[in-house]
Formats: sequence, C-alpha cells, structure tokens
Amino acid sequence: MGFNIGIDIGGTFTDCFVTGDSGLILACKTPTTHYDLSVGFMKGMRELARLSGKPLDVFLSETDSVRYSTTVGTNAVIERTGPKLGLITTAGFEDTIFLGRARNWADGVSMAEMRDQARIRKPEPLIQPDMVVGIRERMDSAGQVLMPLSREDVLEKVQALVDRGAMGFVVSLLWSFMNPEHEHMVKEIIEEEYPEDYLGSLPVVLSSDVSAKSGEYPRTMTAIVNAYIHGVMADEINKLSNELRDSGFKRPITLVHNTGGTKKASRTRAVLTHNAGPVAGMYGAAFQGRSTGDQNIVFTDMGGTSFDIGVIANGEMKSHDFIPVIDRWRTNIPAVEVKSIGAGGGSIAWINKLMGNALEVGPQSAGSMPGPACYDQGGAEPTVTDADLVLGFYNPDNYLGGKMLLDPDLAAEVIEKKIARPLGLSVAEAAWRIRRLVDAQMGQETFNEVALKGHDPRIFSLYACGGAGAAHACDFAGYIGIKRIVAPFSSSVYGAFGASIMKIKEVWERSRSLKIFQWARQKYLDDIESFNRPVRELKELAIRDLRLEGYDERQIKFTLELDMRYGSQYNLTKVTSPRLEIASADDFRELCELFMARYAEIYSAEAGFPQGGVNIEGFFLTAEVMTEDPRLPVEKSAPATPESQAHKGKRAVFWEPKEGYVDTDIYDWTALHPGNMIAGPAIIESPQTTFVIPKGWQFSMDTFRNGILERTDVAVAKQPERIGSLS
Amino acid sequence: MTSSYYGRDEEVVQRLRPEPMTAEEEAAQAGIEDIDFDIFRHKMHMIALEGKETTMKLGASTAMRWGDVAFGIFTAQGDLAICATGIYHHAVLGQIPIKYIVKHWRDEPSVGVRDGDAFFYNDPFYGGVHAADMGLAIPVFAGNRLICFVGAAVHTGECGGTEPGGTVQNAKSKYYEGLQMPPIKVGEKYALREDLLNMFAAMNRDPRTMILDLKARLAAARIVQRRILALVNEKGADFVIGALRRVLKVTGEAARQKIAALNDGVYRQPRFLDMVGSEPGLTRINLTVIKKGDRLTLDLTGSSPMLHDKPLNSFFQGLIGLAMVYFCGWFFHDLPANNGLLEAVDWKFPDDSLVNAKGEVSTSLAPVVQSYFAHAMFLCGARMVYSSDPKRAVAAWFSGFAIPIYAGVNQAGEPVADITPEINATGAGGRSDMDGVDGAGAFFATVSDCSDVEATEADRPVVYLFRNFFNGSYGHGKYRGGAGAGIGLMVHHVPWLAMGSMGAGAHFPSTLGLFGGNAVPPTFVQTVDGSNMKALMRANDSPIARSLAEVYSAMNPEQGERKFNDIDMVVRPRLNGDTSYISVSGGGGYGDPIEREPAAVLRDLKFGRTTAWAAQNIYHVVYDPDSLRLDEAATTARRQEVRQHRIARGRPYDEFMAEWRKLTPPKDILKYYGSYPDPEAGFAPQALPKAVNM
Repeated sequence: MGFNIGIDIGGTFTDCFVTGDSGLILACKTPTTHYDLSVGFMKGMRELARLSGKPLDVFLSETDSVRYSTTVGTNAVIERTGPKLGLITTAGFEDTIFLGRARNWADGVSMAEMRDQARIRKPEPLIQPDMVVGIRERMDSAGQVLMPLSREDVLEKVQALVDRGAMGFVVSLLWSFMNPEHEHMVKEIIEEEYPEDYLGSLPVVLSSDVSAKSGEYPRTMTAIVNAYIHGVMADEINKLSNELRDSGFKRPITLVHNTGGTKKASRTRAVLTHNAGPVAGMYGAAFQGRSTGDQNIVFTDMGGTSFDIGVIANGEMKSHDFIPVIDRWRTNIPAVEVKSIGAGGGSIAWINKLMGNALEVGPQSAGSMPGPACYDQGGAEPTVTDADLVLGFYNPDNYLGGKMLLDPDLAAEVIEKKIARPLGLSVAEAAWRIRRLVDAQMGQETFNEVALKGHDPRIFSLYACGGAGAAHACDFAGYIGIKRIVAPFSSSVYGAFGASIMKIKEVWERSRSLKIFQWARQKYLDDIESFNRPVRELKELAIRDLRLEGYDERQIKFTLELDMRYGSQYNLTKVTSPRLEIASADDFRELCELFMARYAEIYSAEAGFPQGGVNIEGFFLTAEVMTEDPRLPVEKSAPATPESQAHKGKRAVFWEPKEGYVDTDIYDWTALHPGNMIAGPAIIESPQTTFVIPKGWQFSMDTFRNGILERTDVAVAKQPERIGSLS
Repeated sequence: MTSSYYGRDEEVVQRLRPEPMTAEEEAAQAGIEDIDFDIFRHKMHMIALEGKETTMKLGASTAMRWGDVAFGIFTAQGDLAICATGIYHHAVLGQIPIKYIVKHWRDEPSVGVRDGDAFFYNDPFYGGVHAADMGLAIPVFAGNRLICFVGAAVHTGECGGTEPGGTVQNAKSKYYEGLQMPPIKVGEKYALREDLLNMFAAMNRDPRTMILDLKARLAAARIVQRRILALVNEKGADFVIGALRRVLKVTGEAARQKIAALNDGVYRQPRFLDMVGSEPGLTRINLTVIKKGDRLTLDLTGSSPMLHDKPLNSFFQGLIGLAMVYFCGWFFHDLPANNGLLEAVDWKFPDDSLVNAKGEVSTSLAPVVQSYFAHAMFLCGARMVYSSDPKRAVAAWFSGFAIPIYAGVNQAGEPVADITPEINATGAGGRSDMDGVDGAGAFFATVSDCSDVEATEADRPVVYLFRNFFNGSYGHGKYRGGAGAGIGLMVHHVPWLAMGSMGAGAHFPSTLGLFGGNAVPPTFVQTVDGSNMKALMRANDSPIARSLAEVYSAMNPEQGERKFNDIDMVVRPRLNGDTSYISVSGGGGYGDPIEREPAAVLRDLKFGRTTAWAAQNIYHVVYDPDSLRLDEAATTARRQEVRQHRIARGRPYDEFMAEWRKLTPPKDILKYYGSYPDPEAGFAPQALPKAVNM
C-alpha cells in the first residue's frame, strides 16, 4: 500500500494530510494561493514529501491516490468568473430562474438580512435574461407530450444564443425528469448543427442528466451551476494533473464530493464538489467514530468566521430533506447537509442600544484581515478571540505553537471601550459575557440541527474541530446536553484527513411519484414494476459508471433511500428501504410502516395521517465501492497522571465572575501520552489548538492521540421531565 | 356556570396589547440575569423557528406548503412574546383566541385547560381575518403550573363555505362562510378527538388537506412544547415565565424609543377599493397616522360604512394585525416581533364601519380590506421615516390580491380545493436608491415561496401555459416597482374543474406610487371557454402566448369564447382545455419616472422588463429601436419638454379644487361608499338589505 493524500482548500489555508504504510501519518498547512490554487497545492505536496523524507518524485510515485477537495468551482460562482451561457427552456417559462420561486432573494442570507424587508435584493444572475430562450414544447405531469418539439424553432433559438455570444448551453424543460425526450432532441439538434469537430462546438448540459428531480427552479439552477463551473474546474484539474504527472504521480486525480464520497475527476459532475471540505471532515469523524465507539456524532468546526455543523446518526451521514444553496442558488444535489453560521473567533461583539443595551455577538466578523484586535493588524472591534485572550484561555506567547503572537493589552482596551464601559462591567466580566453568548448561539444552533432531524442530542458525541473548537466545545456542549467531546488528533486539518480516507461513492437519484397507499381507494399499490423499474434503471446507471472506473459489480454496495410523504404534504421524509426490489403489495405495506414509524419518531405519533395516503416521491440509490479502511497509528497507553514535564505551570484564568481570575494548571499537549487524564479546570496548549477544560469536565488522551473530554458532573445535565405520551 | 354566554366576546378582542404584569411574572423578574436573558431570547427564537419549519414541512395546503406560516410562543396570559414567521398578523392575532381560552375555558369545569390539551380556532372574530385562517394552540404545563401557550396559525385553502376555496364572494352574512369555530378543545391527554376530526373533514371539500394541516400545527406545537419544558427543567419555571414577560417589556420600551427618534407629524392616506365582492362598488379606508412623542395613533375615521350583505368587511383587530406586518418587516425590523410593539401604538376605529365589523356580517374578503389598509400604512410609514432613514422609505408592495381559486377532483381521483401560490410572486415597491425586487413574494407573508410549477401540476389538474414576469404589472418611477407575474392556466387531465379568483384592484389601481412614482396598473382575469389551446399545442405550427402581453396581442391565435372578468370572479365549472389568464401585480414606483436613468430603462427594455411604449411615453427616453442605443441629448430635451408641459398644465390649488369638487364618481358605484366625499358625513346611508343574515 502506498500513500493516500488528502488536500482540502480553505479560505486561509490549504490543508494536506497523508496516510501511508504501517500507520504513517503526516500533515501540513500552506497558505491558500487564491490567484492560482495549484501553487498552494503543489507547495503542500513538496512539504509532505519533505516530511516523508523522500524527494517529491519518489514520494508521488509511491502515492496511490490524491483526493482533492477544491473550492475552485464555488469561487467561480461567487466571483462570477464562469463562461457566458445560454439557457434553453420551455417557452412561457423564460423567467423561472429570475423569479426564483419568489423567495430566492432570501436564499443564502442571514436571518437579520431577511427581516429587513426594505433592503432586500436578488442576487446577480449567472445567466442574463437576454441569454434565455424559450422553445415551443410541453410535457404534462405524466410525461405525456402536449406540444411536440419543433426543430426549426429550436434551431432559430439556438442561433439567437450563439449570435449573442453563448459559450455553452443549459437545457432545462418542464417535466424533463419524467420524460427527457425533448431535452435529448435539443441536444441532438445542437450537436448536428455544431458538431464536435468544429471549432464552434459548444457544450450542452441537460437538466435531466445532471438532476432528474422534480422542481424546475432547483433543477435548472443545478444544471446552470454545473455548467457554469464545469470549464473552470476542468481547466484547474487538467493543470494540476499535468503538474502532478510531471512530478511523478501517474494516476488520475480523485475529487471529494459533497455527497460523502469520491470519484475520479474525469467522472465527476462539477456541482458535486461544492462545500466538499466540511463533508470530508464529517466523513473523518464518522470513520474515527467507529474506533472511538461513537456512532452518533455532531461534527462541528469552529474557525475564524464560521461555525460548521453536521450530523452523523448511526454512523452514517445522510443528505437530509434540506435544500442545498450554492452561493445564492437553490439546487437539488444530494449533498450531505452542513450548516454554517456566522460565529467564530472573529465574531464581533456589539451593544444593541435599542434593546436596552443588550449584548450581541455576530453575525459580523472581523475575518482574518484585520482580524481580532489582539492580532495587532488594525482590528478595532472586540471579538471572541479577544475575549478568550483577556480571560486567560489563550497564551499570548504560545498561540498556535507560538506562530502568532497576540497582544492582550489591545484586546482588553477594545473590550473596555466598546463593551465594558457602556455596560458598567469590568473588562473580564464583559469578556466572559461575550464568550458565554457566542457559546450559547453555537450550542443552540447545533441543538436545532440535531433536533430538527428528529434526533435526541443527548445521545450524541461532539467532534470539536477547527482552530477554536477545543477552546469552546465544553461550554457550547452544555447547551446541547452533550456529555462527551472528541477533539481529534488532526482537528486543525480535519477536512484533509477525511479526504485522505474517503471511499469511492456516488448517489443516483430520480423523482417518481408513487401512491403506495391510496387515499381514494384506501388500498396499497399493486403495480410492483412502478417501484422496481426506476430502481433497476438507477442500478444500471451506477454499475455502468463504476465499471468505467474499473470496478466490478461485486465490489459495489447499494443502499436505497426513498423520499416519502403523507398525501399532499410538500416536504419529504427520507426512509431507508430494506430491499432493492419488491415482490408484493405487502412490501409496500412494510415501506408505509417504516415511514410511519420514522415520521412518528421525528414529529410525534399524533401527527401521522396514513388514511390520507402515503407516497414515494423520490428514489436515491447510493453505490459505494467496498475497500479496506486505512489503519491509523496507535500509541501505547501510559499512566493516568501526566509526566511532570507536561505541566507547564499556572496562569490566571477567569472562569466565573464570582471567582474572578483563578490560577489554573497549564499543560503541554505534545508532552502528554495516551491514558493521561487531566481534570478541569485546566488548559492544554497544543501547536494547533488550545483545550479549555472547565470544572466538571475531564480530559483524557486516547491511543490515537485524540483528546476526549467528558463531563464528570453529570447531575447538572438533568433529563427533561416526562410530558404525557411524548417521552 | 360557564363564563360564556354563547355570543361573541367583545371584550377579549380589545386586548391586543400586553396584559398587565401578574404578581407571578413580576416576582420572576428579580432572578433573571442580563446574560441569561440575552441567551434566552436567542434560544426561544430558535425554538420558535423549529416550530415554524415543522409546520411548513408537515402541512398540505398551498399556504402552508409555501411558507405563509406563523408560529408563536405566548405567555400564560396569552400575549405573543416570541414569533418566527413571515406572516406576522396571524401570530399577533393568535393571542386573542388564547386570551379567550384563558378567560372562558381555563376555569370552566366542562372544558378546562390541562396538560395534553389542544385547541383549534377559525372564527374570524377571534382569528381576526377570515374563516380560512385556522389556528391551533396548546398549553405548556410544568407539573400543574401553566407556563405558556404555543401555537401555529395558517390559511387552509378550504373551509366549507357556499363557494369553494376559502373565500365567498357572494356572502351576505357569516353563515355563508362555512366552518367558524371559536376556540374549541380538539384534543386532550395528548390525543386528538377522532370524532371532531371527522366533523371537520365532513364540513370541507378537501378533507385530507384540512386534517394534514391541523396535524401539522399540532406536531409543531408538541415539538416546541418539548423544547420549552427542557428549558424549564434547566432554568426553572420562574425564569421562563419571567423572561417571556421581560421580552415584551423590553420590546415595548424599544418601540417607544424608536418612535421618539422620528419627527412628530400627521400622515394621511385615504385608500379606495373598487370591489365589494362579486360586484363593483367604491369604498374608502381612511388612515391617518399621528406620530407624537413616543407614540403612534392609527385613526381610521372617515372610512366607509360596514357592508351588511357583502363580504368586504374586517374586524378592527385584523387591521392592527396587518399594521404589525408593516411594523415587524419594515418599521421595527430590528426589534423582536411581538405584541410589546403595540405598547407604542394607539388606534381609533369608527363604529359600524367596514374596518370595524360587528354582528353577523361576512368578513370573507377581510384580507382585501386589510391589505388596502396595509398599503396606506406603507405610504404613511415611508413619509414618517424618510427624513431620518430614507433607505427604508419604500413604496408599497402589491396590495391588491389576485388569487386563482379551484375546486374539484384531481388526476388521481382525489378531492382538491385551494388557491394557486402565485400571490407569493408579487413585486416589491421602489426605493430611494434602487428598484423594487421583481417577484419578491407577498408583503403579508415575506420569505414565502411561489412554488415550482411542477409541484403544483403534480397533483392539481391544471397545466400552466406560462408563468413569466408581466412587464405591465408594476408602477413606473425613478426607481420602478418590482414586476409581478402573469400566468396562464388550462384545465387538464379531468373533464372539469371549478375555477374562479379573488382580489381587488380591477377598475383602478390597488397600489399607489410614492413621491411621484406611478401606481400599479389594474389587474383582471381573461377566460376562454371552449378554447382551441390543446389543438394549437398539438399542431405547434404557430407561437402561442407565453406572457400576458402576448395574450393581449393581436397575434394571439387562441380561439374560443373570450371573457374579461373582474378579479373577483366567482368560481364556475371550466371544462378540459378551457383557459384562464391572470396577473399578480408588481410594486409601486418611487419618484418621477422622467428622473430614471435612461440606461436603466434601456436595460429593462433589453431584458423585456418594460415595453417600448413605456420607454417612450412614460420615461421619455429617445433611443434607436434596433440597437437600443441612447440618444442622450434628445432624451434630455424631451424630458425638459415634458417638464415644461407639466408647468403649463399647472393651476393654483384653489382653482384646481374648485373644479375637482364638482366631480363625482358615477352614482351606481357609490351605493356602498357612505356619503361622498366624506363617508361619515352622512354615515350609514346604505339601506339595509331586506333580510339580513340570510
């Protein structure tokens, strides 16, 4: 077995991680080079090679895979640097993407922005109105042709787009997910007119290929975003592949998908790479959870400007019934849900004078430039990091292993001026309030993420990743009711770690409406083929695709999930089907019962209404290539008491206003060993992060060098009292 | 003995402002630390948000599916303390049914308020709007102690009236409107009563949607109940009770502070309505806003009389609910949305006016009265804030309503009765520095959704012929209103479907411009019975209309019996292949159109957002029609000419008024108005119908 490399590009750093023989692991960070991401990427490769002690060409020639989580596509959407595209849609629906189901002004904006009705704006479109044409055709909801396609009409409209400078086409027609015939015909007409061997050949993306799902707005936007970033991504991947090949890596590059799997770059739809980094982090948590015994995990990543939250239930990441928004665009990709909120070390504290001088934190952030006041880069607003420093949690001389010196006087000064004095508080108490407030926000948002999916957060463990995760996790865990936290050994490069171990996987999906228990007849559906046919078709697509990557059907594990609902409800609840093929109406009964049980679990039994009918609305087939998991290095256990050199001394830390500053033990993470235990209150400083262990919590290091934080005063976390039949 | 006398409770509906603080609430204040309170506000908002999202997820009616949902957390006395919604009026008005429950049922032995109960309501007298707006609330107990109420209120598209689809345009009294339940216990011991559900289903054309919606409200309320009890467990009942009350207190103080910062003044905005249900008729809603010190007074003196045998009436509380829509979304957008805001607001409604309905008159079209009032609120509000915060002086969003209604059996053989979702695709008003947003939503239900066409067609027996922006739907201006949408619908899959529409603003504009901006054009419905549309589509040898502009073009090849209908079109059976065309309008314009940047006009022209006629005759831009190249000098000269022409037309005010006073609308449309021009001068001149309350 050779090396497996994971690369995760972030806003500030490009994280690199490699696993190798005998449990070798190496990691590094290089600054992200926004002008050309491949520069930072290759710098990371050279650094990994250096750490491995091998020349770059030897290191890369011994590498089995490079798994890459890139933001190049997302950046192209945000910066509007994609090509000029033409959209071909059904005549009469040319404004669908601009109308955006009316609420597209609210997609991808904060709650506060949504409240301010006077100032709302729609996003600048990826395709301007004059680049949209409507062709005369129409399918109905059953996929029957109401209006046949006219070749002359298509040719005329395509020519108009070419004349206006189209560099590619997106075709999205109504009901094409039910019957894609008209979309295929449009593609054929374009390809006949502009054959591939002509210079004027233009790419054609069909919505029914990219996203065969109901809902013309998200389907069209999915196809548009895919087409918009396709070329930019292809260019980058080609460039990187060439550089890697020249440097000794002869295999194809693999891309990390937001569905929780990887595919060869050449077999990847660009839109599936959006926000793949946090999903890779979640994958890492699910993987490590199998060895730490954590099946139910809340994955969190607290960085400078944002706080990411993901849910792993029963060891699995799921694409839940949410609507993925890319930049400001609703899509319907089967992505794993990761929620981001504006809370992080850079979040700014401020006073809301209208609300009786209420303290607020965020959503504005000082970002990395100018950053918190204590960075001494000109930051003039008090941030969470400033508060942490004033409270003594951070060591001004040993923050991130001493790579960045912090100025506690600047932090205290800005908190004094902007918060403490106006509220009549001491600087320490003002800082303590800032910290509590941001912890409460992160905790409550995390609680909602878990609870909205129908889970009991108290049975979950929390993975605390990101630079500030371990410094805040014990405090925000209190708002979730969580008693066990894992701060992984590689938490600051966790996306890259997850990428390095991810498997090959793709989701194949299709909308089909089946009334499996029918309201009008009060009977189960007896048309078995209406279920088996779409599943069979999806399976064939998956097998054909994975064969092209060199895998055999016997290596593939299939999982079928169904989107289900009661009667005419709009929103869907996902249910895992126990079988890929059904044999009788009794199997439909079983599916109904599974759905009803899941629904009752999330929304209470009172809410069910099976008499009104039960529908399947969508099929999701996940095909995963079964390969062996990598083994991570294991260190021997040591006694519970840390060695004396791990104890670095004491520092005054402000834990609670009633106690004021208290001398607190400070430990050096690098001198700790598996099995060591440290009871709070204590601080542990590592080169990557700072562990804050309050009273009532205990730190231990496991054999993988993960930090495990457990609550010792469990009596504090009472169970909610029983209410009626709901408990 | 019961405290109810089986009649309407006139007292409880007056209690829109926070109740006096109880001794229990007062005592609880002492133990609340500032930091804990700040955390509480955030936590409760997240809890309410979960309630709102759950309601939307599980509901089935058009309004619920597309986000016109209100979820509230109310104190034990019934005051709205926390809400998560875009449809604020239902949340604010939801406190009246709860105060009713507290007043009448809590101590009534045959009813009672206990853990595990659920209460339903849709009597518009308590819900404040009309019978289609239904709510469900539950009490939250910790042990034997009532902590608060939680509940959801949403429009369910059908309520069993004499006309399907939730509104009854020919209603002569409330008895035409179908189900009208004062707050009633529908569940106890954590179980809904099946016999009552059976009754609701039996009284409704779309029983499945009725039940799914009701259960959605309950499921959301139960989840929120769990969350609040977890908080009670952690922080104690006193904390939660005290903090809920404190939210109201600080909101009231903040609202007064915000109002105090504005200039004192009196702002007047009469609004005229063109329809009284299924027939034309002129009425007036007369709003005067008096801002003095830290208070606002909303005075409706001078509004038309109550209509005894027409559905165009509103209870006063409904107008206050709509005022809260403006307050929460625009005026106080940075304050918590709760009825503490009303601590800064007084109101005055004339007795027996159409804005202060009494007795058994119908309020089926109350949403129309209320949205016209809200429109006046927008215009007064814009003038109030302009001097201090001009960016929030906004022309009104479309305020007229234009909603297709349908009822029948769908392609799966299932009963359906509801509205289509395009009322959530209206345009926003122009602003001091930018145009209104095209297709922004509905002003009363912000962050709502107009759905995908495929989602509607999936289980409704219609085909959309088009759904595009309508470039004749908004008010022009220096900054134009956002465009609304035009839709074409054709009956499909089934032999027939009952179809109609409700709204107002067919004869003259429903929505005016601001500071010289133009009004929104009137809206109406075209129907074609016996249409050849299906044959045209099959043949596909000539273009069919793909926008409302093309429907009205001479090139439109559609044949059949074409009718132009008022927007209030009573439902009638339409046959397979019959078509209907309707627009939901855009927002009002802001500022003088001839001050609009010519480049913006040409950009709109290029993108089909305006017409060549408007560019030339409203914006007075001179350009080359082929290349759309601007002739700047000619445009400047043309606009100067227009200004000179205006000056020439100008007359002294007294001279103008002398002429103006001689003018009177046609007598036949004044029969519902009251005396003209001031309805109250000879109030109630309208002869009572021979038989009221038929």
